[in-house]
Amino acid sequence: MKAVHRSSFEIFSSVVSALFLREIQTRFGTKKGGYFWALFDAMLMVLIFAGLKSLVAEKSMPGIDFPVFLASGFLAFFMFKNIVNGAMGAFSANAALFNYRQVRPFDTLVSRVLVEILVSTMATLAFIGIGLYFEFNIAVKDFSMVILAVAWLVLFAFGFGLFSAVMATFFENYAKIVQVIMTPLLFISALMYTVESLPQALREVILYNPLVHFIEMIHGNFFTTLTTEYVDYTYMFFWTFIPLFAGLYLYRASEKRIIST
Amino acid sequence: MIELRHVSKYYPTDKGRKYVLENVSLTIPDDVNLGILGRNGAGKSTLLRMLGGIDFPSEGSIHSNNSFSWPMGLAGGFQGSMTGRQNVKFVCRIYGKSPGEIQKAIDYVQEFSEIGAYFDQPIKSYSSGMKSRLSFGLSLYFDFDYLIIDETLSVGDANFQNKAKTRLREKIERCNILLVSHAMAVLKELCDAGILLHEGKVYYYDDIKDAITAYTEINKPS
Repeated sequence: MKAVHRSSFEIFSSVVSALFLREIQTRFGTKKGGYFWALFDAMLMVLIFAGLKSLVAEKSMPGIDFPVFLASGFLAFFMFKNIVNGAMGAFSANAALFNYRQVRPFDTLVSRVLVEILVSTMATLAFIGIGLYFEFNIAVKDFSMVILAVAWLVLFAFGFGLFSAVMATFFENYAKIVQVIMTPLLFISALMYTVESLPQALREVILYNPLVHFIEMIHGNFFTTLTTEYVDYTYMFFWTFIPLFAGLYLYRASEKRIIST
Repeated sequence: MIELRHVSKYYPTDKGRKYVLENVSLTIPDDVNLGILGRNGAGKSTLLRMLGGIDFPSEGSIHSNNSFSWPMGLAGGFQGSMTGRQNVKFVCRIYGKSPGEIQKAIDYVQEFSEIGAYFDQPIKSYSSGMKSRLSFGLSLYFDFDYLIIDETLSVGDANFQNKAKTRLREKIERCNILLVSHAMAVLKELCDAGILLHEGKVYYYDDIKDAITAYTEINKPS
């Protein structure tokens, strides 16, 4: 009575898809309001900052509907934040499942990242619907470059999330630190303003934040009146691949410990 | 066949390493139902988990070409907010079962567990007995070379226990078990050979009765 032999890729894909469905069921099951929460973060931020802006009533971005500017940045930012947080909690939340030997910690992380991508995509589609309904100008300058920037941001979030997941397994305070950093990051990631609009001194400081480059890459390719002149692709590259490879290396070295703890 | 080569398992503590197993080499032949004995904390469950590939030796290695179940009766692998049916589907999907096979598994588990309408309720509304029934039924549905059973044969009422034992006996016709238990009667009934864990050492007995005798011996007040 031998079990049918399956290749490791077959096992990986069946485990990831099972985990994916499981996450979706828990997240969007009845009475959970999962659909609502998927939109909530970004929507709240757009309403707050668009509201503030209209109070001040200054017109600093000619040719741009400010809510669209806000939405494009915040959607990307929350996607990053949710992927990192989701990935970081993946091992501890699914520890009971490591009793099934097919389920490897890495699979739980991949499925969570996929769920977050799906949620962000849905949120984006909903925002596009809202934008069309209220007749905002949501025309995109260079669509494929925006997609590239978002895909790159996903990779950055995945690498950083993987690294963080391993670190959080062995250092209790690590996850707390990352979560604490996320909130101020909201204000220093060029989400409600452009780098261009900042004074020189502030500009230099804020460009150390890798997220600024991703957001500027999205904004610069989205709006005809904005450019990507402050985007440093090399800097983005380092921030993507150093955490990713460090994360992969640490994960490989500690996979067994993660399973058995 | 399961082969342990120079296997050690220890946990770091303030006072240095606490050994559960120390340099154990052992070959468990095919077609043997194995009972695992030892006092509390002797490392029975750890050994079971290592044999099943969900825990790992600190040193040495374990080799086997056989398939192993998850620890049977495991209720921790269920997601509380999902229904019994959804959880059964989830485990089937992990094992790459087709939709047809998943339906068969659902029918089997539903029939076996006798939890009625609760099958479509979230697991968190279950009593612990209901969880065990669901989990037990699910383990019985799958085919493995080895079933891993960790002290879970005493779930439910007498009626259910009989049913579970009958099914398990049918199952053993087709596969082997690795069983941890403190119930000597159960061990005698289901196992052929036995191993005794004591103070980091492992003693293998071809006859479960000898293992039980040895276990009784170490428990005698000296």
